[in-house]
Amino acid sequence: MKQFLLIVLSFFCLHVSATDDPKMLIRELNKKFRAVQDYTARVRMEFDIPGVKMNTMNGKVFFKRPDRFRIRTKGIFFLPKQNPMQNMSSMLLDTNSYTSIISGYEVVNNKRCAIVNIIPLTSSNELILGKFWIDVKDPKVYKTQITTRNNGTIDTESFYSTNSSVNLPDKVVIMIETKKIRMSKMMSADIGRKSQDKAKLDEVETGTITLSFSGYKINTRFPDSELERNED
Amino acid sequence: MREFIAILQNELIKTIRRPRSFIGFIVIAFICLMLQGAFYQDGKEIMSAVTGQFDNLFNIQGNILNGNLICFIVLQTLIVQMPLLVAFVTGDLISGETASGSIRFLLTTPAGRTKVLIAKWLSGLMYTLLLLLLLGIFALFVSRAIFGVGDLMALNSEGLTIIRADDINWRWGLAFLIAFLSLSVVASLGTMLSCIMDNSITPIVTVMATIIIFTIIGMFDMKTFDVIKPFLFTTHMISWRSLFEDPVPVKSIIISCSILLLHIVSFLGVAIYYFKRKDITT
Repeated sequence: MKQFLLIVLSFFCLHVSATDDPKMLIRELNKKFRAVQDYTARVRMEFDIPGVKMNTMNGKVFFKRPDRFRIRTKGIFFLPKQNPMQNMSSMLLDTNSYTSIISGYEVVNNKRCAIVNIIPLTSSNELILGKFWIDVKDPKVYKTQITTRNNGTIDTESFYSTNSSVNLPDKVVIMIETKKIRMSKMMSADIGRKSQDKAKLDEVETGTITLSFSGYKINTRFPDSELERNED
Repeated sequence: MREFIAILQNELIKTIRRPRSFIGFIVIAFICLMLQGAFYQDGKEIMSAVTGQFDNLFNIQGNILNGNLICFIVLQTLIVQMPLLVAFVTGDLISGETASGSIRFLLTTPAGRTKVLIAKWLSGLMYTLLLLLLLGIFALFVSRAIFGVGDLMALNSEGLTIIRADDINWRWGLAFLIAFLSLSVVASLGTMLSCIMDNSITPIVTVMATIIIFTIIGMFDMKTFDVIKPFLFTTHMISWRSLFEDPVPVKSIIISCSILLLHIVSFLGVAIYYFKRKDITT
């Protein structure tokens, strides 16, 4: 009986240490990132940015490791400067540039996720703190919170289905805290309309950009020119 | 009817041939080309003043500085100037002839005074239409040829609205139609004052002063002015801008157009009333 309890206890300890080790989680995650050299996919973009009215757009996304990301579409659209689809893999792959700790656990989309904090080792790094909610059973990033020196904090939430084995989400919701865009009457030549309440303009609101991906084509080795070319 | 057409033809030729009419065409072409040149040279810097406030958060992808945006900016810039050019020609349609004495000869034709006045008013509207067509060619088509076609980033005091390039041509068409309606109000006001006053300068200056004062009132956010604003035709003259909102406020555009039409009918009515009873002594 004692032997049995010892075996059970040691097994339990081993399991706990695996889910408690951020490096192990990141290593598992990086294996999936390394499996994807490039991908293309169709993307549908929905925008809800304070002070900006913009219709939903469709386009095509191109990605090449380590961090070459391009959405090709006709027309104007906004993307956050800290785009997690572009730089999340490169951020995590460079394991010598940061230290990682688990600051807690949280259930996200019915998955028990470890909150892995990434702290850069050099003070000159653009990244101040990266928080990644990683599924402890099948390592995938479900949520991120990236705080950078110049671009503030950006939150994302990812949803997976068909390409979850290679860590490619079907939907990414990017949340950015921003003040409402202000345009002076003189600049907009919008005479006859009342200017906006200044107090309201100073309120910080959350803007969201939702990227829905479909039709992933992985490791097709498309030429670099696809990343440069404009949509006709 | 034949008499009326003959007078109208005559008035059109007179209006177009006057040197001051050409000033309008030259000014429009000059302003458009000047702005296009400035945007071609420094456009990115100018646009960074607009996009600067979200530069640290977002990358704006796509061609912002395109022909549609230049046309939008040119049209906004000409809010004040275009009515002045129209007033310059329509403000002395009657008073100019009264001052020179040629009105007596004009009224010896078998057509009645109302027909003569309407022919003059229509020739003023035709001139306005020509000005707008020229503006359309320079501001929209030349800008598109230089800067290309693309989504319009329409600026208003509430922020930005991105209008997709494939959803914009009908908006431009209606915007120019509303602009024509707006300028027709100015042409009608000019014609009315031209009937009331006997020298050619006073009606022109009065129309210009009215537009400048009304525009200034519209620019200030003051409670006193807020009461007056809905009654000023200049407030409704810029309703073309509403076509570049999403969703388009159809009701407010219809109300504004109705108010503009009401102004045209009123000004023309007063003009006919005065002109029919006018004592021609020169």
